[in-house]
Amino acid sequence: RYTSSYRDGTSLFPQHQDPPMTILLATYISYLFLIAIGHMRDFFGKRFWPGYYKHLMSAAGYAALNSDFDSFYTRRLKLRIEDCFARPVTGVPGRTILMYNRVSPDFNVSFKLTGQLTRALNVSSYNYLGFAQATGGVADAAEESIRRYGLSALGPRLEAGTQDLHTAAEALVARFLGVEDAAVISMGFATNSTTLPALVSRGCLVLSDEYNHASIRTGVRLSGASVRLFKHNDMASLEQILRESISQGQPRTHRPWKKILVVVEGLYSMEGTFVDLPALMTLKKRYKFYLYVDEAHSIGAIGPHGRGVCDYFGIDPTEVDILMGTFTKSFGAAGGYIAGKKVLIDKLRTINHAFAYAEAVSPPVLTQLTAAMASIMGVAPPLLTPVGAINTQSTALIPYSHPGPAPAAILPSWMHLPPALLSGVEGNTRLRRLAFNSRYLSQGLRKLGFIIYGHRDSPIVPLLIYNPGKMPVFSRLMLAANTYPGAVPFVVVIVAYPATPLITSRVRFCMSASHTKADVDRLLRACDRVGDLLDLKHGCPKHERWTVDEVIDRAVELVHMD
Amino acid sequence: MATAVNSTGVLPDTTPALEPILHYVSASLSYVYHSFLSIPGSSIVIRYVRSSYQNDPFRTVLEVILLLFALRTIFQSRTRADRSTKNYVQLSESEIDELVDDWIPEPLVTPLTPAEQAQLNALPIISGAAGPKPKLASTGKTVLNLASYNFAGLANNEHIKEQAVGALRKYGVGSCGPPGFYGTIDVHMQLEQDLANFLGTESAIIYSQAFSTASSVIPAFCKRGDIIVADRGVSFAIQKGIQISRSIVRWYDHNDLDSLEEVLIGVEKEMKKKRAPLTRRFIVTEGIFENDGQMVDLPKLIELKEKFKYRLLLDESISFGSVGRTGRGLTELYNVPATHIDMLLGSMATGLNAAGGFCAGSRVVTEHQRINGTSFVYSASMPALLAVGASEAIGVLRDNPGCLRELVENVRVVRGVLDRLECIEVPSHPASPLIHIYVRSGPSQGSTLEVPTLAARKGGKSKTTSLEPAEPVTFDIETEERLLQDVVDEALAQGVLISRVKRLRGQEASEPRPSIKLAVSAGLTRKEVEKAAGIIRAALLKVLGRRR
Repeated sequence: RYTSSYRDGTSLFPQHQDPPMTILLATYISYLFLIAIGHMRDFFGKRFWPGYYKHLMSAAGYAALNSDFDSFYTRRLKLRIEDCFARPVTGVPGRTILMYNRVSPDFNVSFKLTGQLTRALNVSSYNYLGFAQATGGVADAAEESIRRYGLSALGPRLEAGTQDLHTAAEALVARFLGVEDAAVISMGFATNSTTLPALVSRGCLVLSDEYNHASIRTGVRLSGASVRLFKHNDMASLEQILRESISQGQPRTHRPWKKILVVVEGLYSMEGTFVDLPALMTLKKRYKFYLYVDEAHSIGAIGPHGRGVCDYFGIDPTEVDILMGTFTKSFGAAGGYIAGKKVLIDKLRTINHAFAYAEAVSPPVLTQLTAAMASIMGVAPPLLTPVGAINTQSTALIPYSHPGPAPAAILPSWMHLPPALLSGVEGNTRLRRLAFNSRYLSQGLRKLGFIIYGHRDSPIVPLLIYNPGKMPVFSRLMLAANTYPGAVPFVVVIVAYPATPLITSRVRFCMSASHTKADVDRLLRACDRVGDLLDLKHGCPKHERWTVDEVIDRAVELVHMD
Repeated sequence: MATAVNSTGVLPDTTPALEPILHYVSASLSYVYHSFLSIPGSSIVIRYVRSSYQNDPFRTVLEVILLLFALRTIFQSRTRADRSTKNYVQLSESEIDELVDDWIPEPLVTPLTPAEQAQLNALPIISGAAGPKPKLASTGKTVLNLASYNFAGLANNEHIKEQAVGALRKYGVGSCGPPGFYGTIDVHMQLEQDLANFLGTESAIIYSQAFSTASSVIPAFCKRGDIIVADRGVSFAIQKGIQISRSIVRWYDHNDLDSLEEVLIGVEKEMKKKRAPLTRRFIVTEGIFENDGQMVDLPKLIELKEKFKYRLLLDESISFGSVGRTGRGLTELYNVPATHIDMLLGSMATGLNAAGGFCAGSRVVTEHQRINGTSFVYSASMPALLAVGASEAIGVLRDNPGCLRELVENVRVVRGVLDRLECIEVPSHPASPLIHIYVRSGPSQGSTLEVPTLAARKGGKSKTTSLEPAEPVTFDIETEERLLQDVVDEALAQGVLISRVKRLRGQEASEPRPSIKLAVSAGLTRKEVEKAAGIIRAALLKVLGRRR
């Protein structure tokens, strides 16, 4: 049985392997080539086919709607591989997903649905714990809430948009995290972008990881605070900046900073890395900054009890000033939360933009997250099996004990969850399955010879592709069922610049508790084949590699390897 | 390398005392030279350098400096502060340690003020479904609701609920991904199509939260150097969008199109004088203003926009789903084709009682946002069942115009009561289902205080770069908020739920005047509305009348 928790002495951050120079060179040349061709097409296109460029050119006294320079990347590079993005789907984004087949008559400018559907294995949705379900106890509760509550709370929280469901959900979130209080907001993005301006302002300094999410950047920009970036997860860089900023004070005036807020993510969605929380806590004691941890991806997904990075590293969550997270991922709902001390959260309720002006979280969404969260925690009473017994082994290892099961009194009285969910057994199984799947895939791909970023326990597994030309081919080959005998279609996410640095294009797998070992086996086989075809294996040296059959047979050994 | 070759050439002319040193230098230089020669292809480089530089040391020096500069730029970390400025104080490590020890940060947040605490405590919590007649958790009483956005009375519509349940059973709740990565569900595409057909635009794009729509759409189009001409009274969401766009902003007096015209002329002159190149220009305003319920004169606005060649971004968050024969908003009310509005924003949370916001316009406009609308790209798409709820709500509005006729009736009833009251002032447009109530300033100041826009117009011109109108109306925020809260409490005690508008004091661009907001709903019968209006009237008279 594998649990997701930090073991002392394990290397937290595996060395990034660098690809051979030839690959880097080829990547740069590819981009040069694409850019040159793109500019040539723009040059001739504007002269011979002005109709297509209307929105890029001034006409009749109006300036161009979009600047051709700003949109160059989108038009000339992304458009070529547009078929790999925004593929329309239907049904539940669970273990598999139903995808609409589409064709483009005009080189990806527009798409037509053919009317056929493809069912593919889904290694792309943020469905870490598999709570994206249309059946089962959680969905039943959501249906009940639509009938009881309708679809909307009909207004902002501070006016008349607060329902008993909101207060219940907030109490449960706080309990889940082990902090005093929590507030829920109807959109994950907005949780960051409306809370940060409420926390910091001019005269404050925000130190932000260079790979932080766009919502954090938006929030910081709105706040008017000064901002400095530190190298991704590099605590030495952070410490150096901290020393410099505190000693130098504000620029020009040298006045001391009012406050310093360090903003990090628990699990970085493009890198698969965990924040180095233990080191960060040491720095926090020394430098007295406030810490804001965005657990959009990590909450529910890592840690022996699914409580995110604090749980994973065994750190008391009350030591982190502000915990933020979303319900979109592990809980299969939508929206986000802000949690911390009661004083802080109460204040945020009155000064956060979303509370005064944005719509409150919709009742079925609240029910989904409440029921999913309660299932991870287990509900007490009634206790069918002692939940503590399941966890004794892991809790013995770490000094911090997690907050325990959800008190039944917090949950709405009409919510009836099936016994497997109530006892927390189901939740626990899912956590362990996710932990196994994540580790297995990440280690397996490494052993096959791929360059994999990120932490080995991360449910997000980025596989490096580098060359822009290989990205769409990878995506299309994974989707095609005829690449090799016995192939099954996979939907994968490819990401490139600007979401990543220019050369490190990658494919990002998201593991889920709904995947079986056989699914991961299939994924490994598919990657193995496609990886050979596309020459992607530049990771561990050849003699250390395993064959795909070896990887599949020795899965358990692999997972426990370091 | 060229310099190295030259310096070996001048060696023999120097004094003998320095000879050993020079000898050493020359030897090491020749070693470097020879090892350089051993690199394949180096001879070509040397030949090139010799032939192109001739005898021009100045050029060599210049190019070496250029090269060093380029290297410096490449290797300079983005994350390091500029230490080279005069302002940087060189400190020793121990001094830094001391400063670190001495530094005491301000608390993360200031504790709640008693007023804020009272505000939180007074927050009504609804037990069960929110709707026209919700039950309060604190007292268990059922009240008449004039605080929630339920204009067309679609909340708890059984048909919509059934369809949403069907969607839940097909799609689950969450979409588990952003639209770009398998988060585009067929119901989202359907909803976009429904919105576009309903409004008569080419296309539409949906965002998963209404509040984040404007603040994402504006910076998607308005960039640094572009010009935004905006109303002084725009909602908070638009203010944030304008702030983040970093465009040049000019403000015109609230809902005053003459002032808008003056500003537009002013901008035109300014640009001519500067001989500035043609940039994108936008007029940003709202259909019905969230902050006070005034309504913009759309035909005139469009006339101005076309005359001065501006693009129009109109936020119909309040008017969509509430005015017009079938709820299509201002375009329907004024009978203006929606295609005249370049970016038409709306809310599905208020108008359709589902969730999220949208932007409708031409295909070019919406497609651009699919990559450049930050809160579209970087956020999970909205839950499928809410998208279905919104689609169904559009269907209901389209097929049953009756509900909006009732709304118009109900608005008339409420206005009929409020307009006769001496102690208050109603800035909202008579047709607006969102009605704001101000406390009328005390009788000592004269009983006929005008609406802010008129007051501002009479005086000198206001500065277009500042948010302050020329003659701002003065009001006492604290007293008025307290009085209005008393009215709210009194009405609630009598069984009518209304709400004071909650503002983010200190964060707003210009402090809006305290007000009570009534959201009239078609979900209440005429009788109930009459009763509610009567109770509100009595509460207003009791609290504000007492003051004299």
